[in-house]
Amino acid sequence: MPKITVDGKLIDCKERQMVLQACQDAGYKLPSYCYHPGLSIPASCRICLVEVEGIPKLVPSCQTPVRDGMVVHSRSPKAVASQKQVMEYLLINHPLDCPVCDQAGECSLQDYSYEYGRSQSRFEEDKAKKPKKDVGDNIYLYSDRCIMCTRCVRFTREVSGTSELYVDGRGYREEIDIFPGKPCNNKLAGNVVDLCPVGALLDKDFLFKQRVWLLKQTPSISPVDSGGENIFLEYNNGVVYRIKPRYNAEVNGWWISDDTRYSYKIIQNEKRLKSAFKKEHGSLTKTSTREAFDFAVAQLKSLAAQSSGSLYAMLSPMMACEEAFLLGSAIRAIDPEAVLILGPVPSAEEDDIFRHSLTGQQTFVIKAEKVPNAEGIRRVISQLGGPSANYNELISGNNPLLKNLKGGWIVGGYLSNWIKGALPAALATGFRVVQDILPTTLSESADVVLPGAAWAEKDGCWENYAGKIQPFAAAIVPPEGITREGDLYLALLGRTGVYNAQAIRKEMGEPFAAVSLPTEHVQAPAMEFAEL
Amino acid sequence: MKDSDVITLEEPRLSYADTFYLPQVLIGLGTTMRHMFNVVVRGKDRVIQYPEERREDMPVEKGGMLLKTYRGVHRLNKDDEGRVKCVACFMCSTACPANCIHIVAAESPWADREKYPAKFDIDELRCIYCGMCEEACPVDAIELSHVYDIVGLTRQEMIFDKAKLLNIFDETVKKEPM
Repeated sequence: MPKITVDGKLIDCKERQMVLQACQDAGYKLPSYCYHPGLSIPASCRICLVEVEGIPKLVPSCQTPVRDGMVVHSRSPKAVASQKQVMEYLLINHPLDCPVCDQAGECSLQDYSYEYGRSQSRFEEDKAKKPKKDVGDNIYLYSDRCIMCTRCVRFTREVSGTSELYVDGRGYREEIDIFPGKPCNNKLAGNVVDLCPVGALLDKDFLFKQRVWLLKQTPSISPVDSGGENIFLEYNNGVVYRIKPRYNAEVNGWWISDDTRYSYKIIQNEKRLKSAFKKEHGSLTKTSTREAFDFAVAQLKSLAAQSSGSLYAMLSPMMACEEAFLLGSAIRAIDPEAVLILGPVPSAEEDDIFRHSLTGQQTFVIKAEKVPNAEGIRRVISQLGGPSANYNELISGNNPLLKNLKGGWIVGGYLSNWIKGALPAALATGFRVVQDILPTTLSESADVVLPGAAWAEKDGCWENYAGKIQPFAAAIVPPEGITREGDLYLALLGRTGVYNAQAIRKEMGEPFAAVSLPTEHVQAPAMEFAEL
Repeated sequence: MKDSDVITLEEPRLSYADTFYLPQVLIGLGTTMRHMFNVVVRGKDRVIQYPEERREDMPVEKGGMLLKTYRGVHRLNKDDEGRVKCVACFMCSTACPANCIHIVAAESPWADREKYPAKFDIDELRCIYCGMCEEACPVDAIELSHVYDIVGLTRQEMIFDKAKLLNIFDETVKKEPM
């Protein structure tokens, strides 16, 4: 393994690694704009120029492979002078609009200007004014803030493979642009906003909503598909404002899909169920969660007392594994022969596969299965044992186990209305307790309706399509009137105390017991440069 | 915290005379009597007939106050065209130690500016009038005026919104130009 010395510090590197990446891996910061570990290396921004002993000129550290015994200086007078000059050139035409720029606070131009630049500008002429462009449904391009690092252009060529963005012009006329009538609307388009080291590419959805230094981060998992993309929920004062990717080499790398990025909107959906309902004299009336819950439990117990095997629980693939385990155990405690049914698993035709536009190499996959935890629920049902079925068997009525069901606990929680068309006959009869986020035809005809919490409001874990169990944490508290599912199921089991996902996972045994939240936020090297 | 850092203090024991409290009551009454003597016998009046008489009109050495440096209620400044100067950068609310400034930003309706405050609320009861917002503002949009006699009947009334803060600018701009 080669070893190099950077500013007197010995750093272990991998074979054929670049100096900049080796430094980043070792936790030593070198400035960089155009370099991104997930993209090709153009070495165009020149901020990472370092002095290497034995080479007369400065070399870009992002493009210089390590050699055993190499001695690198990033703080030598020559290197520092170069950094100052690069910063000065980059800032010549950069507008001084940090107060209104959404990137302020996570902008590497700000950070490096503070760290490496000079505090005053010697440029006396008028700054070049470039237009603000609408480059996609969700993206604005403020051309005047752009420093031409071409990360976004490389992303659309090398990861999404759609090549919507290109560099137009040369020299001071150089601008990022789209081809006429071909906006940047691919399913990964939002990533160019994260990639942009300055405030040139901004998300229309997040524009002006909140300053980034006010946001707090909680590690979470994408709720939109079975890929299990790692994300950060960014929130302030109990409102989630945006979702950012969290680096995970095994799952999603540096990127997330746009569906994931905007999935937080379900939390703020106006139609959300916010209070419990109970059927009285043939119509649903608003009531407290406690009352509706007690009524449901009493009814289910009396049904179970009449005949065994008449209850079922429909476990939705939107539930956390812990919740499914608790509800499954609780319904079995009431009726030992209760049937556990896996809820509907909506799926697109096929996976969305993204390829490098030149090499054709696969870069990103959006899974076809549009729920995050079908695998996890299957695992919980098989761990609990006993009679089980799936949603299709329930609505087709082929399974003899499902012939004499009289009442059940149905969990929804899908991000959109999950009952397409008319209510299936199997779901229209018997005593039904429905727990959901959005109102559906089912919740309108149920006997008891309990409002559910969204994934950002509770702890738990989900298993992705590849069998990787990933925990997520609550970022915010649910709106008033909503009790978290975990706490309700504990009450259903007759247990006291509050729901603690980690403790429940211990109870569930392997492989869940080994799952725990990362104690430190796992951050991608590329996302780290905001730290000073 | 180490045990050696902890200092235990004993409560001082009251003397026999102190347990009656009467001496202290008499000392307190003495102060009242002294003031009464000063007003009635020596004719030295310490009372100000507010609001007819105001401290800012009195010389400082006679107990008046220097209004020039007084930090009173906030105002939101307007530019030459009468538009709010604020660009909703949240610097004031970030700097605010009392968390009393609440801004909702929006895309501005004017061509020369990106962003403006759709809502700008200051909780004047929560504010400690430290002037940090004024220091933080990059466009000199928020200032503390010299107005100190603001009143309201409810707490809600004392949360000043954008219109009210702009109104204070109109009222005070002649006396205190930007």
